Amino acid sequence: MLFNIYIKELIDSLRDKRTLLLTVFLPILMMTALTFFYENMISGDEGETYTLAVESGLSSEQEMVLNNIENVELVTVEDLQETLLNGDAQAAIVFEAEFDEKVQAGEVGNIEIIGDTFSQNTSNLIYLVTSQLAEYERILVTERLINADVDPGITQAVAIEQTELSTEDSNIMLLALLIPMILAIAISVGSSPAAADLFAGEKERKTMEALLMTPVNRSTLLLAKFLTISSVGTIIGLLTLTVVIIEIAFFTEHLKAAVNLGDQMILIFAVGIIIIILYSSLMGAVLMITSIIGKTVKEAQSYASPILMLAVVPLIFITGLSVNEFTLNHFILPFVNIFAIITELIFGIVNWQHILIVIGSNLAVIVIIFIISRILFSKDKWVID
Amino acid sequence: MIEIKNVTKRFQDKKVSVTALNHVSFKVGEGEVVGLLGENGAGKTTLLRSIATLHTPTEGEINVGGYDTVKQSEKIKRRIGVLFGGETGLYNRLTTRENLEYFASLYHLSKHETKVRIDELTKMFGMRDFLDRKVDGFSKGMRQKVAIARTIIHDPDIILFDEPTTGLDITASNVFRQLVQELKQEGKTIIFSSHIMEEVDLLCDHVAMIHKGELVYHGEKEALYREENSRDLNYIFMSKLVRGTEGYAI
Repeated sequence: MLFNIYIKELIDSLRDKRTLLLTVFLPILMMTALTFFYENMISGDEGETYTLAVESGLSSEQEMVLNNIENVELVTVEDLQETLLNGDAQAAIVFEAEFDEKVQAGEVGNIEIIGDTFSQNTSNLIYLVTSQLAEYERILVTERLINADVDPGITQAVAIEQTELSTEDSNIMLLALLIPMILAIAISVGSSPAAADLFAGEKERKTMEALLMTPVNRSTLLLAKFLTISSVGTIIGLLTLTVVIIEIAFFTEHLKAAVNLGDQMILIFAVGIIIIILYSSLMGAVLMITSIIGKTVKEAQSYASPILMLAVVPLIFITGLSVNEFTLNHFILPFVNIFAIITELIFGIVNWQHILIVIGSNLAVIVIIFIISRILFSKDKWVID
Repeated sequence: MIEIKNVTKRFQDKKVSVTALNHVSFKVGEGEVVGLLGENGAGKTTLLRSIATLHTPTEGEINVGGYDTVKQSEKIKRRIGVLFGGETGLYNRLTTRENLEYFASLYHLSKHETKVRIDELTKMFGMRDFLDRKVDGFSKGMRQKVAIARTIIHDPDIILFDEPTTGLDITASNVFRQLVQELKQEGKTIIFSSHIMEEVDLLCDHVAMIHKGELVYHGEKEALYREENSRDLNYIFMSKLVRGTEGYAI
């Protein structure tokens, strides 16, 4: 009986083509856009050429300093301000009138860099220019010290050596952010219409009364509907994950290089699928309650909207943390723990203790929500319009 | 067959208690067609839902075929078919056949029984042309046929219709009336609520009138006509409400 109801509900949900189109393809589209955005962001500095505006009359020394900066093209203009406002250059540089003479005389030569740092391109260009000028200054200081018979090494009071603990490609952090977020959004947004339709929709269409008039136990009905919502979420989650894997594998270079799952690849994918099923079930259970409470599909969707925020809230707790900084709480807290465990998996870590805590914690919450739903589903007020 | 014994149903709306049914008692015999009359909000739907085991009476009890609606609801559900509204309770994305098959499975009909029953109902209701079409886009008349077929897929002895022709056009209403006549000939016990007096006059042999949750009248239709010396059910209904047994106010 459970199987019959489940199959019918699944067919009914999957036949809603317009909703399905929006709920499946929108997250996939969003996923695709984000994947390429991140890929572009990572490779952003490599091919990008910035334009630096200068006034006419640069000395050969000044030109030599600036020409040495990679990916920077110099343009000589009359009005620096106007050039920047028109967007013809990302930044401008002005050497004071007697810059070379002052530098030769051992005095301070002033340089002004102009730009709007609200622009990422301007910030990048200013960073490149200041780095080059810092190097130029270091050479000048070294020359001056030698001329004054002073060992240039005297200026170095501290030697800093940074040892990188992580052997991972730094770009993997972006994937650790991207994949759980998109999966969470795709699953919650994707299963929301099915959830609203299966309870509130049935009340609205009065099929719920017809259903309750059959000799089928209400727990069986509830379980079948819950499984349907969870299945829709799982299908959408797996579809989204497949699309992102294909896109990363075949259409990106840097993101692909960042992923190194090693020998555990199959195991990681298997655990990933379990996590997707688990999250779909958790979200399905939460959305089921909003649909039981709602008298109409519209009402159920209104109740579900703030719940869908739960899909992205965990980012606040996870963003900026390395996998070593995750505490037990990150794996106990539902919703947050999904993000934490996926992040670990993306880093190629299979920690069974964490995985079992996540599964146990989510199953406990799902059971509690299911019991609450069953209580609500037995009351006329919530079941019959 | 259906015995309603001193049934009271109260709903708690925040801190206010609303009495939808107030000590209602009457019996419905096998094969009777009973018209349940009353204004909107009189308690007709609550009474039908209580008979259908969807509501638990606050006081009193209801027996259907010897079974208690609260304690033995599962047994009653196998013998009863309910349609709330004229053309409701259908899954639009499923075909007529899929709708019927689904409900047949919920009533534990075997595949063979389901096939036989769908064939019977298809002939009975003339649904051959749209048996394998999705319900979405059906006319009200077509939907109504499917809805009634769905209601009686398990061949129940008792059928309850709650305002079955409300919102339907004249053709769809006539379809319903013809179908009730056929079910009546099959010996089914039918209770249907309505405020269309002509419909009740045409189809019912018994009448029950409810006003503000209380039973104003129950008995044979012809006896009522003789008692009131009129065959105008509309007039009789209004005068019953005015007179009432305890002076009902309209």
